[in-house]
This record gives sequence, C-alpha cells and structure tokens, in this order.
Amino acid sequence: MSDYIVLVKQVPDVTQITDNAFDVETGTLVRSRLASVINELDSQALAFANEMRRSSSGKDGKVIALTMGPPMAEEVLRYSLSRCADIVVLLTDRSLAGADTVATANPLAFAVRKIVKDILKGSSDYYVVSGMQSVDGDTAQVPPQIAEELGLPCIAYVTGAEFKNKRFEFTRIISGGSQVVAAKELPAVITVAKYEYPLFATFAASRQANRTEIIRWGSDDIKASHTGVTGSKTSVIRVFPPGKSTRKCQQVGDAKSLAKLLVDSFKSSEAQAAEGAETKTKRYTLPGKRADRFDRSFEGTKKENDSYKFLAGKLKELNITEVGQIDESCKEKILAVSKDYFRKKALEDMINGLQLTGPSYTGEVWVMAEHSDGEMHPATFELIGKARELADSLETKVGVAIAGYEIEPIAKELIAAGADNIYIIEDKLLSEFDPTAHRKAIADAISRYWPQIVLYAATPQGRMLAPMVSYRVGCGLTADCTGLNIKDSSRNGQIGILLQTRPALGGNVMATIRTKNSKSQMATARPGVMKRLPADESRKGKVIRHKVELSKDDVSLEILKTELGTGEVNFEADVIVSGGKGMQNRDNYERLVNLLCSGLSKRLDTEVERGASRAAVEQGFIERVHQVGQTGTSIGPKIYIALGISGAIQHMIGVANTETIVAINSDPNAPIFKQCDYYVVGSVEDNIPQLVQALQES
Amino acid sequence: MAKNNEYNKVSVLVVGAGPAGLACAIQLKSEKPEIDVCVIDKSAEPGNHNLSGAVLEAEALHRLLDSAAAGWRDSDRCQDVLGKKVEKDNVMFFLGKKLSFNIFFIINLAKRLGLNFGQMIHKGDYIVSISKLTRWLGQIAKELGVEVLPGFAGADIILDGSNGKAAGVKLVDQGLDREGGKLPNFVEGEVINSRFVVLAEGCDGLLTEQFIEKAGLQRQSPQLYSVGVKEIIKVSSEQYEKFGDDRVVHAMGYPIWTPFVGPGMFGGGICYPVGDDHIAVGMIVGADWKYCDFNPQDALTNFKNHRFIKNFIDGGEVVEAGAKMIPEGGYNAVPRDAGSGTIGKGNVLILGDSAGFVNMLKIKGLHNAIDSGMKAGQAIAETFDRPETAAARYTEMIEQSNVMEEMRSAKNFRQTVAKFGPLQGMPISILGGLLPKFNVEKDFEAMTIAGYRPEPNQQFDKDTFTAMAATEHREEQPSHLTILDPEVCRTKCTPLFNSPCITFCPAGVYETIHDEVEPANASNCLHCKTCQRKCPFDNIRWTVPEGGGGPRYKRM
Repeated sequence: MSDYIVLVKQVPDVTQITDNAFDVETGTLVRSRLASVINELDSQALAFANEMRRSSSGKDGKVIALTMGPPMAEEVLRYSLSRCADIVVLLTDRSLAGADTVATANPLAFAVRKIVKDILKGSSDYYVVSGMQSVDGDTAQVPPQIAEELGLPCIAYVTGAEFKNKRFEFTRIISGGSQVVAAKELPAVITVAKYEYPLFATFAASRQANRTEIIRWGSDDIKASHTGVTGSKTSVIRVFPPGKSTRKCQQVGDAKSLAKLLVDSFKSSEAQAAEGAETKTKRYTLPGKRADRFDRSFEGTKKENDSYKFLAGKLKELNITEVGQIDESCKEKILAVSKDYFRKKALEDMINGLQLTGPSYTGEVWVMAEHSDGEMHPATFELIGKARELADSLETKVGVAIAGYEIEPIAKELIAAGADNIYIIEDKLLSEFDPTAHRKAIADAISRYWPQIVLYAATPQGRMLAPMVSYRVGCGLTADCTGLNIKDSSRNGQIGILLQTRPALGGNVMATIRTKNSKSQMATARPGVMKRLPADESRKGKVIRHKVELSKDDVSLEILKTELGTGEVNFEADVIVSGGKGMQNRDNYERLVNLLCSGLSKRLDTEVERGASRAAVEQGFIERVHQVGQTGTSIGPKIYIALGISGAIQHMIGVANTETIVAINSDPNAPIFKQCDYYVVGSVEDNIPQLVQALQES
Repeated sequence: MAKNNEYNKVSVLVVGAGPAGLACAIQLKSEKPEIDVCVIDKSAEPGNHNLSGAVLEAEALHRLLDSAAAGWRDSDRCQDVLGKKVEKDNVMFFLGKKLSFNIFFIINLAKRLGLNFGQMIHKGDYIVSISKLTRWLGQIAKELGVEVLPGFAGADIILDGSNGKAAGVKLVDQGLDREGGKLPNFVEGEVINSRFVVLAEGCDGLLTEQFIEKAGLQRQSPQLYSVGVKEIIKVSSEQYEKFGDDRVVHAMGYPIWTPFVGPGMFGGGICYPVGDDHIAVGMIVGADWKYCDFNPQDALTNFKNHRFIKNFIDGGEVVEAGAKMIPEGGYNAVPRDAGSGTIGKGNVLILGDSAGFVNMLKIKGLHNAIDSGMKAGQAIAETFDRPETAAARYTEMIEQSNVMEEMRSAKNFRQTVAKFGPLQGMPISILGGLLPKFNVEKDFEAMTIAGYRPEPNQQFDKDTFTAMAATEHREEQPSHLTILDPEVCRTKCTPLFNSPCITFCPAGVYETIHDEVEPANASNCLHCKTCQRKCPFDNIRWTVPEGGGGPRYKRM
C-alpha cells in the first residue's frame, strides 16, 4: 500500500491570453493580468496517482499534494483536496522566490524528505508523482532534479501504469516509441506525460477542502541547501516577444508551381532553422582577437553594446589606446558627457571589463550523444554543428561524450560531423538507457574533464538525463533552447559566455538566460533547430576512453518491453497534411490525404503525418488523435498543408508555429487564404492528383 | 476525499452565482452569519457567464454594499467596477446606413409629462461590466463566509413528494462520454439536500422551468425574450476620447426597424464605453422576429457600419464577444403559484431574470435582480424556522417593493409592441397599465418564410465571434443540446425555413451533417439558449453541460 506525494504547481493560464496581457512597452506578458490555474499536467498527475492508488487496491494509501509558491498557490492545494488529496502542504517563503529549476527542485526535495519523516513515518513505500512539465517554465527539469537530490530512480514521460505481481509497470514515451519499465526499488519519482482523465471536483469534497487545514512550511522548516535567487544557477537576462511571422498569402495557379514552392520552402526552412530565434549576425571573436582594442560589440544586450560603443568613441577622441591610460581626469571628461549612457559606478565596471580579453570559462564544448541500437539520433549531429561554431569562436575543441556498450564504431561518424575528441564511456550496464546509470557515468566524465559548455538534445532522453547530470555536478541548465550564442557581459566581468535563448509561457515570450555559479554552462537544445554540417570523412579526431566504476546497483529500472514506431500520431513530423470538412467523406479523406502524404514523403525524404480539422473529426473522417488546433494538438511543422479547411481561428491558433502554411480550398472566400503562405482555389479532388504528379516530376 | 456526506446537506442552496443569487447570499449571511449558505454556478468562475450592457441603477447595489461590505467605496475593486457614470445620454434614431437623429428630447418630454417611457433616462447611473460586478460580488460573498462553489451545474430539482416542498438539487453527472458511457473519472451528480432552494439561474433557467412545471406554477402570459449580442472593441485613444468615458448611446431604427418599409423588429443597438480604450457595441432584438434568415449578429454588423457608430470603432479590433437572452415578458410573465400567487413555492424562491424582473421601459433588470436577491435573503432570514413559508414572505416583500412597482408600470409595454409592431405599439404602450392583458404568441411561433438580409454580410465571421467568447466544454461529453424529433427538421423546418437554427445560433452550434441538422458543435455553445426559444417548431432542448464549461466573459 503505497503513498503518493503529488507535486502541483500554480501557473498563469496561457490559454486565456487577453489583449491587455502584454506590456505595451516591452511586448512581454504581464503575468498578473492572467488568471492562475493548476498546471494541467499536474492535474493529470493527481488523477494518475489516484488511479494508481485505486488499481493497486491501496485505498488506505495517502495522496499528499505539495506545492511551492506564493501564499495564493494554496488555490491549487484546494483544487487537489476537492479531487482526491488527503493532506496538502504549501511551501512558501519570500526567500524561495525567484528560483530557477535547481533552486526549485532542491527545496521541494527537502520538503519531500520532511513529509516522509513527519507524515509517512519514514516509510519508503511511496511515489513522488508530478506532471512532466509546467506550461510556464516548460523545462521538465524539476522532477528529475528532485530525484537526483533524493537519490531516487526517475521514470519520466509516463502515460500508463499497470499493477502486476504486486508492483507497477509503467509505460513511458521514449524517442520514437514507448517502453514498459518498472522501478527496481521504491521510492521512485514518476512524471506524467499524459493521462486523459483528470478528476472532477465533487461538491462535498469542495466544501470539505475549504475547511481543511493546509500545512504551511517556510525555509526554516525544511532547511534546503539551494534556494531563491542566490541558490539558482541560471538567471534570465532578457525577456522579449517572439518575432511575429507574417504570412505571404500568395495565390498559386497551377500544380507545378505549387510543387516547386513546396520543395523550395522545405529546403529553405531546413537551411533557416539553423539559427533559431535570433538572427545570425557576425561570428563571435574573443576580445583579444578583435581589430579594435575597445571593440565590445558582442555584449548580451543592446544597451550594453550602445554604452560600449559610446565609450569607445570617447576614448578615441581622447587619444587613448590602452586601458591603463584611463586616469581620473579622463573618467571625469567621459562622465561629463555620458549622462544618457552610464554613471560613475557603471563606468568603473565597464573599464574593468575592458581589461578582460580572455574567456571566462575554459575547456571544450561538449555534445552529449544520443543513440539507440547503434544509430545516432539526428539531433546529435545538429548539436555537433552548433558546437563546432561555438568552439571555433572560443578557440577550443568539440568533444562528444557517448555512453553505451560496443559503441566505438560510431566515433568515426561523429568526427566526420565535426567533433575533435570522442569520449567513450563503455560498460555492459550502459547497454540500455537507464537514467541512474547513465547520469552517473556522464557526470563522472564531465567532472573529470570539465568542458565549458555541454549541449544535450531536448529529446525525452536528453530532457531527463541533462537535469540529473547538471544537478549532480552542480551546474545550471537551460531547457529546450532555440538559440545559443557566445556573447560578453564585460561589465559583469564575463567574456565569451553562452547565452541561451528559449521560448517560455507556452511560446508567448522568449527569454535569454545565462549560467551562473557553475563550472560548466549546460543547455538542452530543441531538435530540428540547429544545423548539422555536411559530413567530412577526411576529418581527424581522437578517441578517449573514460572508465567509470558501475555496479548492478547503479541500474534503477527494469526495462520490460520496448516498442518503437508504434501507430501513434507523430505531430513532430516535418510535414503535416490535414483534411477538413471540404474532403466530403471518409473515403475521400483517406484516398487524397494518403496520396499527398506518400507523394511528399517520397519527394522530400521526410516523415509526413496526417492531421484533421475538428469538423473532419466530427464527421468521422479520421480518429480524434489526429485533430490539429486549439482543441486538438498545437503543431509547428516546417510545412502544413490544409485541404478543404476553412481556417477557423481555433484551428489557425493551433498551427501558428508552422513555417509555411499551404491551403487548398474551393471556396474563394475561405478565411484560411488570409492566414497562409500559398493557396490554391480549387477542389481537392482535382488538385491533389495533379500536385502529386508534379512533385514526382520536379 | 470527502468521507462525510454531511457536506451534501446545506441550509440554503442558491443556484446561480449572478447578481441576484449573490445578493441573496450576501444579504442573508450578513444578517445571519450562523446560517450556512452555498452558491453553485455552472461556470468555472463567477462572472464568466454574465453578459449585459450594462447601465446599472445604483440604489439597490448601494443598499446591499452598505449593509454587507463596510468601506466598499474606498476599495480598488469599487473604482474598477463602478468608476464610470452616465453623463451624456444619447437616444438615437437611425434611418438607413447614414442618417441619425438624437431623439432624447422625446424621452425627456415623456418624462416631464409623466409618461411611462420617460423612465428610459439613464443619467447618473453606473456604466458597468456585469462580469466584473459579479466577480466582485462573489468576492464579497466569500469574505462574508458564503461558500461560493463554481463549476457545479444543477441538473434537476428534487421535490419532497409528501409536502410539495423542494428537498434539494441533483447536480449534473460528470465524466460521461459522448454516448453516455462512464469514463474512468465518472462522478455521479451528487444530491444536495437543502432547507431552502433559491433559483437565481438567470434567463430561462433550467431548474426554474423544471420547477414551474413540476410544482404547478403559472405565467399569466408567456415569457417573451430578446437576444442580445455584444462585442468589446479595442479602439484608438482618439476614438475613445471622442466617444467619452461617460456617454451611453441607445439607438432605435436601422438596421432592424424602418417604419413602413421594414424590417420591423423590436429592439435596438447600444454603444457604451468600457474603459482603457475599449468600446462595447451590442444589438438587442426581440426574439419574435419573423425572418427565417435573420441572425442578431448580422444586425450588429450593420449597426457597427452605421456612420454614427462606425466613427467610433472603425479599424478597431474585437477582443471579446458574447450572446445572451433577456426575459422581457414583464409583469404578466412572472411565474407564480396558481393558488397562492407566490413567486416560487414553499421553500423555493425565484429571483432576478429567472423570475423575469426586467423593466422594459428602462431596458434594465440588474437593479431588480439585486433587489430581489436582497428580499430573498431577508425573507429566508425571517422564515428560517418555517421554510415552507419563505416563498410567501418573499413574495409579500417583493410586492411592496420598488421591483414590483416598476414591473407594474411597464406591464404591457413589450406585449403591446409584440402585438402591434414597433410603429403602432410604442405609442399605444403609453396607455401602459391601463390596457388589459394580451394574448401574445410565443416567440418561436412568429417565424415566417420572410427574408431579412438587406445585403449579404461578408464581414462577419461567426467562428471568430465564438472564439472571442473563449467558450470551452470538454469535448467528449454527451451533447447538452437535443433535437427532439429529427423528422420535424427534415420534413418541415428545412423545406419551409431552411433550418434557421443554423443561421441564428450565435456560436454556429448547428450544422447539417449527412443531410441531418445536428448540434454538431455543442462545445461552442455560449449558453444563450436562443435555440430553445426560437426553433420554429419548438424542437430543441437545452440542458446544462458539465460544470465549468461555457463562455468565459471577462469584461462583458
């Protein structure tokens, strides 16, 4: 009879963004103008825990909801009580505010310890259950880091649990498929990726919830080691609105031109994807290598760049060529004219910054390789491409660390992709991905060689491994980056640091983040965003073997079954073809959508998935899992093709992140024509066979 | 989990957390803090389902707040909700797309002559958002210790067979799939036993209408409705300044009524300031329209394009939209016990829009909703030990109050217009209370094969309108809209009228699928219930979906 500690979080309701929710000045979201709700995946986690309790006939097991946040976060605890929680704990303290994932996971882990001691009387028969990630942070880092702090196995991205032979077997998502695993020992941390049956409140439980006492703990109660701003290992330096893409709305007359546009868009999108959110400017060089001694044009913010530009101009006017020549009178002169840019303290800092010419971090730029069955995940090559660029700027080497068994043959491929040094950590116990064993092996290698940057792919595996490793070696980590750039923050004494840009709050804002209080800068990067280099078989590299002591006890999970490429819908595909009501009937839908899918897949050599509008699902053309849109799945492929879809706003919101939208519709007034890049006015029955033909011939 | 079913028993259960229900709970709790009062609402948050103009006559609200929330005038909330007062009162008559006449002087004259429609003057009233007002009242109620429980929808009112009282309310089942099968998270609707049941569901309340039927209440004359559609538009600062923060515009005539040539519908347009460079526009149309291709949103679009209005909103962006019905039958449509004349019966009280307390001469019901709520609160406090006498006491208090005085003076206005049409009806209505009770047909019986569309409307997009109401329901639940007999749609309605529900439903819920009219997009429903009252064959029934669904109005 297990107990369940469920982690719940209060988040802004990003599905209900009102027109006044954005700050007019900065274009960023004002959180206080949005309603607060329970993080949806946490509500699913709560229901999941309740279902685990029910299916294991453990009705005496307790469900304990734990949250950390401001006092108003008690609302999510009332939510939990009105569903199924027996006990609720609110961790609230001013000193806990402003935390990054490390400084969130740490106090939560300490609170879990206290719950176990005070409430569960030291039992080890419990699960920590939480949603896979929160909609505001979107990092998925906190649960694995809690597991790391507590030294527990972590089973991430769980979609189901079956109680068999007195234990739970969990189904979880892995790259390209699913896997059934069981924890070798309890306690364990579970993160829920999807559970479709969140609980409803009952009237009686809601009334009781309002009368239930909430256990409130502050910092002094849990005595965590890393809290608040000071305990954090990353800090946000800039928040800005994501660049709004404007659609071309271009009508296309014939199938041939459309086929050409499709192929071109696909290719150019692959090329463009490389730089992600931030447009590429000139390549970073270290200050010591710049032509101008006072050139500081690689600062992280525009303001800093402007200030330094101004300063450099003034120094030139004063005929100063070395930092040492700047004396007090010189500073006075500069300050006299610099009111708009900086004052005395800032000037001192800037001048100190000018003295720095070498990088703040040293070591190689590493990529953590991901592979299964001897095959590399494509994201690894993309990361090597990015790492090459970063390493060249920093004048260091690209290292790739790879853990597994019998993996040495892969080294050649990695070197050809741009790596200099391949660190091979080989052990039979690493032959399958076990987070506990792998994180131990990799953390060991990192703390031996201390690379200055470590990049992981933001895949299910990377987003589980990276938080554990970074926590273990005491470094900051930024999740799911779309932009990685080397910049200076000269005023703060930092040269050649990695700025990590990522979307947050459901893609409504972008944040640029830097690492602090860490020996290495770590990030997971979104697959498909960075650009891989063409393979160069002539490249030379070195293979370095790193030996790690592992024993059977380091393996925490028992892998019972692995299934790859199941019939699930893959909305991560590069191209998605959706049919709407204009497809008339199920037969038409199947025939035409499938025809176009296979045509595109052959021509573009990529995966193409089928989608549908709500209306098409309603009419029974295809199963609901294929529904695209606000109420279905929100997608962001390279190319989205809408066939016979009118373009209701709910649908269009769900495809807003698409790079190129193509629409075919017989209604010349279809609203979708105003929100797409290319469109054809005409029937799908005529146009699709023509288009497929044209694709073959092009 | 609640292991104690004591929580399913309450002293007072208020159904509907609108102005009436919350006023009742606030009044009662401030008089008798020891009584447990629960207010349930089908929306996810109080205020989400409330939509009105709204111009609010302040007296009743002031009385309520003075007694229940000391210092309310100094609160930030007060400034936010009651910060705007009517200074400029434009009553306009629109003729065609361009001409406009200010006819305020006629209303003013009527007032001086003591004619009843002189009541239409709004100067000094608050310009409010009813969603915001409701949210504020919800907060005040909570602070007083009222249990405000949104997300719970009432499905059925349960009568205590032995003595004709209500025993309580059964909530809606949650966690059913489309076919009605139980999902793993199924929760059967709980039965809440209550000493008093207060029905404050708003217009055309589900439990109210059930109760009227089950308990043998009657209306002397059928309830008549209007459909209101409203948009909030973000305009430029210049436009907003030009309009002003203190002006209300009420317009008659175009696009729904032009004397002699038609169209001839009852109603009019409104244009109010919302604050922060937002302007609200709305169209209210009597649901007895006869045009089978008519949709109030069409009229709203034409209204917005009238030169007078366009001036203020041209180029603006619609940021919120919604629709709702208004009960306009007035005095003779108030449901009463056949024998005793009580509004409600025994321990069941009917308030606000559920009772139909809208004064058509003022085109306002909000103040009466609050006032009736307060009376209900007082009546329950007085009769707490004799629940079966509550409705009688409540009715007695209402009869002597301003609510009934207003209802009497506006007694035949709407019916006169319904009977004689706007042109003749309005002047005849001056005779107001002197006229006998009319036999008026129900709204849905008015449908004809006549067409309205002065011109096809290219601009209006129903999907966008619906999206701006932020409506949401769990998709996989049984449809809360039912077509009683599909055969009627197939053989009568579609051939004759071309399925008007597809046109008039403001959310585009109805669609033809495989040659059958179906409520295909029930999850878009705005809970306005127009379909239930306007289907020409009375062939549609609206029930409550799972709690928490529906629109999410913020500033309506």
